[in-house]
Amino acid sequence: MAVVAAAAGWLLRLRAAGAEGHWRRLPGAGLARGFLHPAATVEDAAQRRQVAHFTFQPDPEPREYGQTQKMNLFQSVTSALDNSLAKDPTAVIFGEDVAFGGVFRCTVGLRDKYGKDRVFNTPLCEQGIVGFGIGIAVTGATAIAEIQFADYIFPAFDQIVNEAAKYRYRSGDLFNCGSLTIRSPWGCVGHGALYHSQSPEAFFAHCPGIKVVIPRSPFQAKGLLLSCIEDKNPCIFFEPKILYRAAAEEVPIEPYNIPLSQAEVIQEGSDVTLVAWGTQVSKVASRKEKIFFLTSGFSFLFQSVIKTGRLLISHEAPLTGGFASEISSTVQEECFLNLEAPISRVCGYDTPFPHIFEPFYIPDKWKCYDALRKMINY
Amino acid sequence: MAVAIAAARVWRLNRGLSQAALLLLRRPGARGLARSHPRRQQQQFSSLDDKPQFPGASAEFIDKLEFIQPNVISGIPIYRVMDRQGQIINPSEDPHLPKEKVLKLYKSMTLLNTMDRILYESQRQGRISFYMTNYGEEGTHVGSAAALDNTDLVFGQYREVGGLMYSGTTSLELFMAQCYGNISDLGKGRQMPVHYGCKERHFVTISSPLATQIPQAVGAAYAAKRANANRVVICYFGEGAASEGDAHAGFNFAATLECPIIFFCRNNGYAISTPTSEQYRGDGIAARGPGYGIMSIRVDGNDVFAVYNATKEARRRAVAENQPFLIEAMTYRIGHHSTSDDSSAYRSVDEVNYWDKQDHPISRLRHYLLSQGWWDEEQEKAWRKQSRKKVMEAFEQAERKPKPNPNLLFSDVYQEMPAQLRKQQESLARHLQTYGEHYPLDHFDK
Repeated sequence: MAVVAAAAGWLLRLRAAGAEGHWRRLPGAGLARGFLHPAATVEDAAQRRQVAHFTFQPDPEPREYGQTQKMNLFQSVTSALDNSLAKDPTAVIFGEDVAFGGVFRCTVGLRDKYGKDRVFNTPLCEQGIVGFGIGIAVTGATAIAEIQFADYIFPAFDQIVNEAAKYRYRSGDLFNCGSLTIRSPWGCVGHGALYHSQSPEAFFAHCPGIKVVIPRSPFQAKGLLLSCIEDKNPCIFFEPKILYRAAAEEVPIEPYNIPLSQAEVIQEGSDVTLVAWGTQVSKVASRKEKIFFLTSGFSFLFQSVIKTGRLLISHEAPLTGGFASEISSTVQEECFLNLEAPISRVCGYDTPFPHIFEPFYIPDKWKCYDALRKMINY
Repeated sequence: MAVAIAAARVWRLNRGLSQAALLLLRRPGARGLARSHPRRQQQQFSSLDDKPQFPGASAEFIDKLEFIQPNVISGIPIYRVMDRQGQIINPSEDPHLPKEKVLKLYKSMTLLNTMDRILYESQRQGRISFYMTNYGEEGTHVGSAAALDNTDLVFGQYREVGGLMYSGTTSLELFMAQCYGNISDLGKGRQMPVHYGCKERHFVTISSPLATQIPQAVGAAYAAKRANANRVVICYFGEGAASEGDAHAGFNFAATLECPIIFFCRNNGYAISTPTSEQYRGDGIAARGPGYGIMSIRVDGNDVFAVYNATKEARRRAVAENQPFLIEAMTYRIGHHSTSDDSSAYRSVDEVNYWDKQDHPISRLRHYLLSQGWWDEEQEKAWRKQSRKKVMEAFEQAERKPKPNPNLLFSDVYQEMPAQLRKQQESLARHLQTYGEHYPLDHFDK
């Protein structure tokens, strides 16, 4: 195992008749909905930049958490941070440029509201940001660190993997940094290229002692971020940056928690199990329930695969050593005899994330569709 | 900010200084006042004025091309209170510590020395897997520890155990248990020897990666400041660890975020085999402090009173003014880096002997005690016998105890044990049922 990785993703079980022609007639299948989205039509001769390769489908307004407000993803993050600082007087937010509101506007208004000793800039130094955050957490105060882009988290890798993740274990539980949460924008954004598009979750999934969480929507983001902040273990919260503006839905104003260790079904079906997290979920989002896929939710995944016999996992991160390989390996251990087809992984290529070639690089709905088709017809 | 130029000017002025050689930077608001405002105010913009308007530095123009010479020939002077024979040089610097306290300092250092000898030997005999001695640096540990409050937080590197020794008599049991990794180890047998931790004494558990504790200590100090805890954080590291990026990060954060922290660098001349001439080209670690805007001092680390005075004053001001202090304690690592090292491969026996015989913190303090009439040969003999007995008792006890139950391999990874890990724990238990004879289960708690 070596890791507990919490990812908000979804399991989609599709009802499929096996033949390709039947695909198009399936009602309610998220796949069909995804296909209804037209490609950008070019009216004039000049090239236009590609629009987003997906459409975000908002979830229905949540009723059980009180009054809601339409928020996009960065606003839902701000709301979570606002709630946290309001109820926990020890909580502080820090990182590069968070004081004026952050490069993605996630911390707008918080410094004015809570004071400059609680929302402040640090020097430009990721290893310092995380080390500093660990130190705050060691005293028991709540530390919410921001790393400006997940692509820049690597200078802090030592502090995260060698220190934060091991603090409790190596001290025999005398000390811990459980009240540390690291937030960072994650994933492709259309033009980010090598250093503004990475999805580094697999590096951290390999490290026992931390939790890695990736929301798929504003509602998820707020509830999961609040859970990360309150969780007694150091957490990394990756925020799909393409969703900061593109995803908007009704989100409760008051604090609420979405548990980090739980699985939900997005859409019931019987023929295929689909797993994804973050932006990938929107490739074929459905209106039904959501799923959080966790390693402790593996048992739920096994049940699903036992039922459907087919599993497709998709992520933007490169194929080799990506988290899909962990899921695939575990599922084949437990569900070997139930599999009707090889487990399919639709992922980024084993290259750095390119700039102009992004439309070809990303594991879009066409690649997922093609892989599904092959799997059904296996 | 004008770092190097101001520093160079101040160094020239301070040569022959009789007072503590604390480098005072000429910055408004730096002296003795709580600094709650950001260091740089927004400058008034005036295009008619010929003064520099750059936001990045507060300095005057100069029309002569001149590179600043790094002053390494005669560096920052070394503050000391006693000479090598333990005589007070300047009576006004004598901290006049009471007899009990000085005896406690002395006994802590000598007890540590005795424990070091015994545990080093025990590694050689295969009883423990690894050990690091503190020979020659005991003064840096106890001198600084004695200047702190009980609630102050300590982040160490690995060669500061004398501080923990100073703060309590149950320490021997704690050290032995950790080195043996037995059921009494507070760390539950997870780490190599000398990776001590003690929650009661606010001594954060040691980790092997170097300098990682530096930015962490800064964060802890920031939290202490916010909590109005009247606490300082002291962060120890060696001159080698000071080369790590984490050290740079820590210094810069402490200064910009105005944290009540003492950075205590033990400059003992070597990082394993690497001498300081290969570790840095500037004037040691103290000279870096002003570069970050940090009050800095260099002290004679083998002079317990100098270490004490500097730490005491740094503590007082760090807490009162919410700013960091850097103390570079010059000393010498008399022992090998660890039991995995044989330092005769890279330094001469003569060099080591000089420090052992001519400039040892324990000898110097003993001379002081003798001259005060607080100690004599009889007491010395009796104490050596007693301290050895104490150490041997703790040692034998620790050796007899079993190791913790192998189930403790799996706990504390997270606060709660995840299902996946429980499965792995069960899988090991089943494995041991069948193959247990191939494992040293006899030494472990059932």
